[in-house]
Amino acid sequence: MSDKPQTPNLLEEETSTHHTVQDGRLISFIRDMGRATTDGVGGVVRFFNLCSHTMSSILRGRIMWRRVASEMYEVGNRSLIFIVVTLSFLSMVMIYQTATQMSRIYPDFSMLGAGYIEMMVKLFGPTLTALMIATRVGTGIAAEIGSMVVTEQVDALKMSNTDPVEYLVVPRFIACIIMVPMLAIVGTMVGIFAGMITADVGFDVNPIGFWDLQLVGENDIIVGLCKAFSCGVAIPMISAQAGLEAKGGSEGVGWATTRAIVSCTLAIVVIDLVWGIIGVKLL
Amino acid sequence: MSRGRTSVLSGAAFVGNRSLWLASVVGGMTMTLVHIVRAMIPPRFDWREFMRNMYKVGVKSYLVIIVVACFTGAIMVVQSATYMSKIHANHMIGWGAGLTIFSELGPLMIGLIFSGRVGANNTAELGTMVVTEQVHALRSLAIDPVEYLVVPRFLSMVIMMTVLTVLGDLFAMIGGAITAQVMLGCDWREFLASLLDAQLLGEFVVGLCKACLFGFTIAVVSCYYGLSVRGGARGVGRAVNNAVVASAIGIFAVDYLATLLCVEFGWL
Repeated sequence: MSDKPQTPNLLEEETSTHHTVQDGRLISFIRDMGRATTDGVGGVVRFFNLCSHTMSSILRGRIMWRRVASEMYEVGNRSLIFIVVTLSFLSMVMIYQTATQMSRIYPDFSMLGAGYIEMMVKLFGPTLTALMIATRVGTGIAAEIGSMVVTEQVDALKMSNTDPVEYLVVPRFIACIIMVPMLAIVGTMVGIFAGMITADVGFDVNPIGFWDLQLVGENDIIVGLCKAFSCGVAIPMISAQAGLEAKGGSEGVGWATTRAIVSCTLAIVVIDLVWGIIGVKLL
Repeated sequence: MSRGRTSVLSGAAFVGNRSLWLASVVGGMTMTLVHIVRAMIPPRFDWREFMRNMYKVGVKSYLVIIVVACFTGAIMVVQSATYMSKIHANHMIGWGAGLTIFSELGPLMIGLIFSGRVGANNTAELGTMVVTEQVHALRSLAIDPVEYLVVPRFLSMVIMMTVLTVLGDLFAMIGGAITAQVMLGCDWREFLASLLDAQLLGEFVVGLCKACLFGFTIAVVSCYYGLSVRGGARGVGRAVNNAVVASAIGIFAVDYLATLLCVEFGWL
């Protein structure tokens, strides 16, 4: 991911061709690889620094509960409509496709509800809710913190002896940890009920027959909740890191926001796969 | 009594404000679309800017798309693995993964990551140009900003979203085949054979049409929010946030409508 502003990027390309003429392909290749490696390692180190700083602030009890409450309102309540709308659309699509495929092979909808509810609890509910929260809340965090960085409000906080991590990152982190699993539960339930209504209206499946929990075990619920919790940890940290690294004016804020959502999406997909494998192999 | 009336009034004011806001957003997007179409009807756009955007949209984001697609295929195989091995249907795994990914999950996941990588980037870039008055500068040079900036971006996003979905579907299948081999001990040749036996061309084409529509939605939404930025760095951040949220809602709504249409006409 070359997430750099465009003008410096063009300049960089010019200088690198210049070097190619001067010192040959191999050296410039090695230089580029080295720069990419140091950039990557530096980013990871700074990310873990931010994480350890956040953790130590929480463990020392430096939590501003008033700000936590307002962030919880921002993360939870104000994302609710968005989550409900997107997940109900998705579940309607899923039911339409599954039922059409099933009716083509063998028109028996008795297992439709059971299989659908299992997939929703284990896979689509937590993952898609987390993706939507990354879309709404993650970009919001990056945009807010990024614009505070470029307008030097973060430096002002430091000057007035307030730790910017304690003031900006910790409340958002706690709010996301609490709210993302809750929203995942809401999203899963919305998905199941929207699917139930679609199956009833479109394919005459009895809602009571649809509500069939025989395939949902404890493991599925545990895996789903673990996924949601891990995403709740990852989203605020990645977005806050992207926001704190914003440089330059409005362009920098835009880049920070883009980087936040791309990294959050990647992190969510990886978390999803890891918990899926753990769920299959260990539980 | 008066308290009740004020609360009723403020409720009405809230509803009115929200509907005015919704009407202005939808109207603004429609006007952006009308401008784009009007600039395209005799095609008057900058060819070099178009090629530069094709490179930036397609070539620079294919790595993210490949990674996400591989993981999506792997997740689908992992999740259906328990079910498939329970009913001893290892030879059906390729069919199941291909069906879901080609028709639904592939375009959807690639659309979401595309809206994050390309759409957000586009809004940020156009927004920065608006905030730093570069768009006004273009206008004062008698260059139409829609023709010069928006149309090449729009075209390259629609084209590249479709092309990247083909690539993403391929890599999702590769990721699924590797996962099936490593986790289930199901040979990758068997996986590919069951995929090819299933004859999923119809699903694949429907998925590509969906991807094209997603690219259209993302392009219009991100250009609208980019051109309507107000107020410095904070405004650009807020515009990117709004653009990504609106693109996500647009993607899901378009997905639903497209699926409904396909089911209605029996293409799926």
